[in-house]
Amino acid sequence: MTLSFVLFLVLAFLRTSGANDDDDFSEFDDELEVEVESEEDAFADEFDKYTEDASQETDSDEFTTPEDDDEDHFSDEEEFEGYDTDRKPSEGQGKPDLKILQTSNVAMRSTWNSYVIEILMIAGLLVYAVNYTIGRSKNSSLASAWYQAHKEILESNFEIVGDDGTAKEATSGTLVKQTENLFTLWCSGRVCCEGMLVELKLLKRQDLMATIGKLLKPGGDVVRLTIDLGDIEMDPFVFAVLPTRMAAKLHKELQDLSNFCTERKGGEKYGLPNSLSVLSETPEVINSFLNSQVVQEIVKYDGIFESMHISDQYTGLIESADTQDSAAAPVTPQKLMIFTFKIPGKGRSVMPSHMGLTLPLVKMALRFIDKVKQIRMSREAKDKAAKRRLKVGESLLKQTHAQRQEAAQQRREDKRRAEKERIMEENDPVKARKLEEREHKKAMKRMQPKMKQMKVRMS
Amino acid sequence: MSHPSPRRPERVARYKPPKDKSPSDDPIPEYMNLLAMVFSICGLMLKMKWAAWAAVYCSFISYANSRSSDDAKQLFSSFMLSASAVIMSYLQNPGPMQLPW
Repeated sequence: MTLSFVLFLVLAFLRTSGANDDDDFSEFDDELEVEVESEEDAFADEFDKYTEDASQETDSDEFTTPEDDDEDHFSDEEEFEGYDTDRKPSEGQGKPDLKILQTSNVAMRSTWNSYVIEILMIAGLLVYAVNYTIGRSKNSSLASAWYQAHKEILESNFEIVGDDGTAKEATSGTLVKQTENLFTLWCSGRVCCEGMLVELKLLKRQDLMATIGKLLKPGGDVVRLTIDLGDIEMDPFVFAVLPTRMAAKLHKELQDLSNFCTERKGGEKYGLPNSLSVLSETPEVINSFLNSQVVQEIVKYDGIFESMHISDQYTGLIESADTQDSAAAPVTPQKLMIFTFKIPGKGRSVMPSHMGLTLPLVKMALRFIDKVKQIRMSREAKDKAAKRRLKVGESLLKQTHAQRQEAAQQRREDKRRAEKERIMEENDPVKARKLEEREHKKAMKRMQPKMKQMKVRMS
Repeated sequence: MSHPSPRRPERVARYKPPKDKSPSDDPIPEYMNLLAMVFSICGLMLKMKWAAWAAVYCSFISYANSRSSDDAKQLFSSFMLSASAVIMSYLQNPGPMQLPW
C-alpha cells in the first residue's frame, strides 16, 4: 500500500516537473501541486496512520487510488504465494497485544555470582592438587623414615638391601616407588633364604577421595615382609597366626590353608591375645614356633603385630572357576614366610618417628628364617603331611585334567582348521589333491582303534 | 660370643618385578581413566558442562592412583581430553553451568 502511494507520488512529481500539455490530465494539475507542496506532511501523516493501523488490513481508499491500475498486481491474490485468504483481519483492537519475552542476556548478567559452581569446581581441584602434594611428600617421608630405622638390621642380615633389578649389577639403597603409597625394598644375600621383599603399603594420602573413604572404613599403614625360602630343606608344614576377624575368610581363600589346615584355634589357648587365631597343619609345629619368647613379643607389640604365615605349599589365593585359565600351567608351590605388621594410629597423626616401632618384630621375623630350618617334626607327622600333599596333588591334577583335555582338543581343532584353510587357499589342483589325500589318511588313522602291539617270541 | 654373620654374597638374587601383578589389585586407575574418557565424550558431544567437569576430576583421581609403571602419555592425554571438553563447553555456551537435577 505504501509502495503504491510512493509510486503515485513519484509519478505525480514527474508529471509536474515534465512539460506535459496533455489536457486529459489538466484537471488534476492543481491537485497535484497541492499535493507536492504538502508532500512531506502528507507522507508523514500517512506513515503515522499506517503504523497505527498496522494490524488492520484495510481496503480503505487512503491507499488506493483510481490510478492504481498499474498496481493491480498488489491486490491480486494470485500474485502472492502462501497467503492465507481465510484470515480475517481483526477489527477495533486498539493497541496491539505485544508480548515481550524475558530472555537471559548473558552479556548483561556476566557477574561472578552466577558462576558459583564453576568457582567451587576450580576450588575443589586446587584443594585436590594441594592434598596430592602434601600426601605424596608425607608418604615419601614415612617410607624413607622406615628404611632409615631398619637399615642397620637389614644390612647386618642381607648382602644387598634395596635392589631395583634394573642395573647390571645388584645395587643397594633403592626404595622402589610402585605408586605414591606403595614402596618396595628387595633384600637378598642371606643364608637359608632366597630373598626378602618388604612392601610398605601406606595409606593413599595423596588421593583426597581415598582419604574421605578412609573415614568410613578406617585402615592403617601396613608393612609386609615376604621371605622367599627358596629350596631350603624344611619339614613339610603349614602354619599361620591370623587376626580372628579375617581368619575365617583367609582360611577359605588361601589355597594352602584351605587344603592343609583343618581347624582354627583361638590364640588365647597359646597365650596370645583373643584377637588372634592359630591355624596349623600339625599341632606339634605350633609349640615349636610359639615359644614363650615369641608369645611375649607378640603380646607386647599387640598393636603392631597383625599376622604371620609360614608354608611350604604356598600357591596364593584359590582361583574361582571363571577366572581360572585352563591353558595356564598350575602354580608351583613355594616355600614362603609372610609377616604383616601395622603402624599404630590407623593413619591418623602418624609421624616418621613411628615407623621405627616395627623394628623388634622385624628382628623376630629374621630370627624365624633360621628357626624354620631347625624345626623337626616326628616321623608320624611327616608321613601324614606327605600323604596329604600327595592327595592334594592328585585332586588338583584331576581338576585340571578336564581343563587340559579341553585345551588339547581345542588345539587339535585349530590345527585341523588351519590345514583345511591351507587346502582351500591352494591354487594348484595337484597340490590341493595331495594335501587332501594326506588329510584323509590322517583322519582314517585317527578313526582306527588304537591297538597295542605285542611281540611274541616263537621258541 | 658373636653370632656368625648370616650374609652370603654368593646367594644374592636380583629383584624380579612381579609379572603376574593383576590389575584387579587396584582397579581404580583404570576405572577412573575410562570414566574420564566417557565423561569427556559426553561433555563434548552432548554439551554437558557437568560431565566435562566430572571428567577433569576423574582424570585427576586416575593420576593420583596411577602406578609408576603406567604409561604417562595415556594419563596426560586423558587429562588433555577432559580439559578440552571443559574449554569447548564454555566456548560454545559461555553461561554458567546448570546442574542436571
